[in-house]
Amino acid sequence: MIAPARPEYRVVVVGAGVIGLYTAYHLLKGGFGPVLVVDRGFLSSGASGRNGGGVRQQWETQATVRLARESVAAYRRFGSDFGYNVWFRQGGYLFLASSAAEVGQLRSVHAVVQKEGLASRLLAPNEVPRYAAGLALDGVHGASFLRSDGTLYPFPAIWGLYEAIRSLGGEVLLGTEVLSVARDAGRVSGVSFVNGSVKTSVVVNAAGGWSKEFSARAGLAVVNQPSRHEILATEPLKPFLDPMVVRLSDGLYFSQTMRGEIVGGLTVPHPPGIGAGMATSPHFLTSMARALSTLVPRLRSLGVLRAWSGFYDDTPDGLPVIGEDPRLTGFVHANGFGGHGFMLAPAAAQRVAKSVMGEGTDLDPAMFAPGRFLGAPSPATVERLQLG
Amino acid sequence: MVNTAQWSGGREMEPPSSGAPRFRGAPVTVRPGESLVSALSRRGLPILQRSIRYHRPRAPFCGVGACTQCLVRVNGQPNVRACTYRPLPGDRIETENAWPSPTNDLLGVLDLLFWRGIDTLHGFRRPRSAAPVYHRIIRRLAGYGRAADTVPTTPVGAPVVRSTAVLVIGGGPAGRAAAGRLSENRAETLWIDAGPLPDSPPGVTALPRTRAIFLPLPDPAAETPFQLLASIDGVRAASIRARRVIVATGGFDAGLLFPGSDRPGVMTAEGALSLAVPGDAPPFARALIVGGGERAALLLERFGTFVEAVVAPGAIDPVVVERASALGVPLYPRSLLRGVQGRRRVRSAHVAHRGAKERFELRCDAILLAHRRVPNAQLLFQAGVRMHWRGAGGAYFPVIDHDLTTSVPGLFAAGELAGFTGTEAIEASGRSAAEASLGRPASLDALPARVPADGPHELEGYYRELLSGQFASGKLVACACEDVLLEEIRHAVRDGYRGIEVVKRYTGVGTGLCQGRYCLPDALLLLSILEGRPPESIGYITQRPPVFPTALSTFASLSDCAAPGGS
Repeated sequence: MIAPARPEYRVVVVGAGVIGLYTAYHLLKGGFGPVLVVDRGFLSSGASGRNGGGVRQQWETQATVRLARESVAAYRRFGSDFGYNVWFRQGGYLFLASSAAEVGQLRSVHAVVQKEGLASRLLAPNEVPRYAAGLALDGVHGASFLRSDGTLYPFPAIWGLYEAIRSLGGEVLLGTEVLSVARDAGRVSGVSFVNGSVKTSVVVNAAGGWSKEFSARAGLAVVNQPSRHEILATEPLKPFLDPMVVRLSDGLYFSQTMRGEIVGGLTVPHPPGIGAGMATSPHFLTSMARALSTLVPRLRSLGVLRAWSGFYDDTPDGLPVIGEDPRLTGFVHANGFGGHGFMLAPAAAQRVAKSVMGEGTDLDPAMFAPGRFLGAPSPATVERLQLG
Repeated sequence: MVNTAQWSGGREMEPPSSGAPRFRGAPVTVRPGESLVSALSRRGLPILQRSIRYHRPRAPFCGVGACTQCLVRVNGQPNVRACTYRPLPGDRIETENAWPSPTNDLLGVLDLLFWRGIDTLHGFRRPRSAAPVYHRIIRRLAGYGRAADTVPTTPVGAPVVRSTAVLVIGGGPAGRAAAGRLSENRAETLWIDAGPLPDSPPGVTALPRTRAIFLPLPDPAAETPFQLLASIDGVRAASIRARRVIVATGGFDAGLLFPGSDRPGVMTAEGALSLAVPGDAPPFARALIVGGGERAALLLERFGTFVEAVVAPGAIDPVVVERASALGVPLYPRSLLRGVQGRRRVRSAHVAHRGAKERFELRCDAILLAHRRVPNAQLLFQAGVRMHWRGAGGAYFPVIDHDLTTSVPGLFAAGELAGFTGTEAIEASGRSAAEASLGRPASLDALPARVPADGPHELEGYYRELLSGQFASGKLVACACEDVLLEEIRHAVRDGYRGIEVVKRYTGVGTGLCQGRYCLPDALLLLSILEGRPPESIGYITQRPPVFPTALSTFASLSDCAAPGGS
């Protein structure tokens, strides 16, 4: 599609990533159409097509665990709901702690996760090989493991949602940038593109790494900050690694995909912002190679196939921003998911849709509402588990 | 770039013990400096691999360590490219991903069972409770080798770290001309190539067997804006900083899609040339050469009496006509391959004149692809050089100024890579790039002729006919690394997924070990036909580093890759 079919939409969703698409899907399911999804790139060109496919329920905050748990259930059903197989494989998430303080952090995560009825386990270093063989365990002080966490293929999820939206009568406009948001008496009244505009009273900002920029186009300053994160894939091997492995100390994470590739990343410092683009840095390649080949020595001679990067959409408290902006009626946030939009999308987008439809949600405004950053001295709750 | 070079194969090896190298338990005679593929080929073309999805038999194809078709396990280390790995005494070589052997693999039944393909996008969804079982089975089938049995103990060696005024990448005619001119001007020059290099001119430091793998976006503020990562002998790392870079990486022999194009015996010209040293008999007796240009002439010269016929999608050059008639080799210009007989080895090919319905059968035991050269442009893409589609070349070439400057200041492209053809023009472009890199005014009044920018590539017509044809049976494998079928690409387009970036993610085309080297140039043409718009509007996939798969330990050994903003 190259132009919107109608002059007016009930909702315009900006961003055709997993958050935007799931939001549009829930809106259409709730009969809240017509809905237009707009994206400046192609399908899966942003973080939804650039992530490592991890889906985990181990978090520090109970509300996040709850959203993640619901999302895991949704991904288990994805094949029957959407006709595409996302190969959601529940091989578990193994967190490694490299200090007593990190063991303490895993212990508190464990307590929160257990409270939600999930069977996570705390492991001593000598129990780790039962879950992931061949790791060099010097420096590992402890670990935690949750079997029902897992990994999936992000792409088919995007295709499935895209097709579902279209078959429910929604429109997805790709390769089109929303340049501005029109207001009328403090309310959203429309959006404009390079060659045209449409009327709407609700705009959902699901632009991921570009959400700060897009909020600014609506005249709204926000605390979100995009940051570049890098990732690589190796040559495929026969399966030898079941879980996603995450090391707290340096953010190293990796798993083995269904195709056999090791896919993973590591946190290396980049200046914030999207200006520098999505190039790969030599620094990432060398530090990631060093970290991975030291932790899994028998992968030393494994070939790196390709490396790429994408943008996180970070918030100061590590929690997403969900709901209407108090400064502009009709401008709804669905962003700030850090690097974890895929993990929380099915459940979080349902709350976004509910808030668009004027139904209440079970989300604590102090944790998720956009207003929490307006005037408050410091956030009430913080989610620090921003890795893997 | 001299691409027929052979190096140790990109893997750290266990220290060798003694005795002849053993392949699947039996000793194999390897001459000094010879690759495993070359050694095994004396006993006939080896089938070393089964494909990743359908376990189709595969034999060596590219000859340059890029494709997926000759991976073996050496001393417990997986995925070693047999075409570039030179066995050492005591090496133990096993095959991967096949049981009991790649020639007779029980899982080859998958190819027959799933004769229309396996749909992993929509299939294996029901019943939901079976998901763990599907996961286990599909995972077992995927992947090539098993992870290494042991930790390699041989160190990769300290990285080579260099800094230079001018870096010349490529040891072909353009690179040689550039290095020569820089030497005459006493410019501080470093000259690298993935293969061997001739004696370097005075003042020029040569680094042979050094393969450029990553040329990141330059840092214009730095004294040496460019940093190139390379691997020496496929193992040792090199980091080279330079003020100016001349890229003259030439081109490679492309693949071609036809029914059976992944069958053992089908290989690129480079692949064929790497099979046997000149003077030795190649592992084929009746080869079909595909193509009618310079590369076809070269193959005729090298393999004359082993050539059955020359088949070209377009016209055939006079030099090929001359050579072929001297040898009594029949020529089939403006023809296409409609099919191949033979499962474990090409037995014959079905050929048809373009536009004609009737096809005829040519007996042959190899099909050598010499129809098309595609520029080795990955480094330019990585460095952010503006590229444009040159229609008659059927590929993306760098946009260059009159003095061979690319859109990135300080970065120059010369030779075949920049679209020049013919030795004279290629050498002139190398000299001119050298002058320009020294800040001299352009030595050429006008650039020599390049591949024409307009007009369709001759394969566009070829593929239009191929797509309109009916294929009764068999798979058309559009991406051999990932076993992606042409039918899957057709489906994607039919379902509304358009452009190469999306179709790549939808089908997996171009995501295998060769990173799309052998399927993307043609996928662009195919998509252009299927989507009904010109190839340049299909886009191009981001060229992601490294250019060739490179060991974690090679990257890990580099310590001078500081964080951004660091020194």
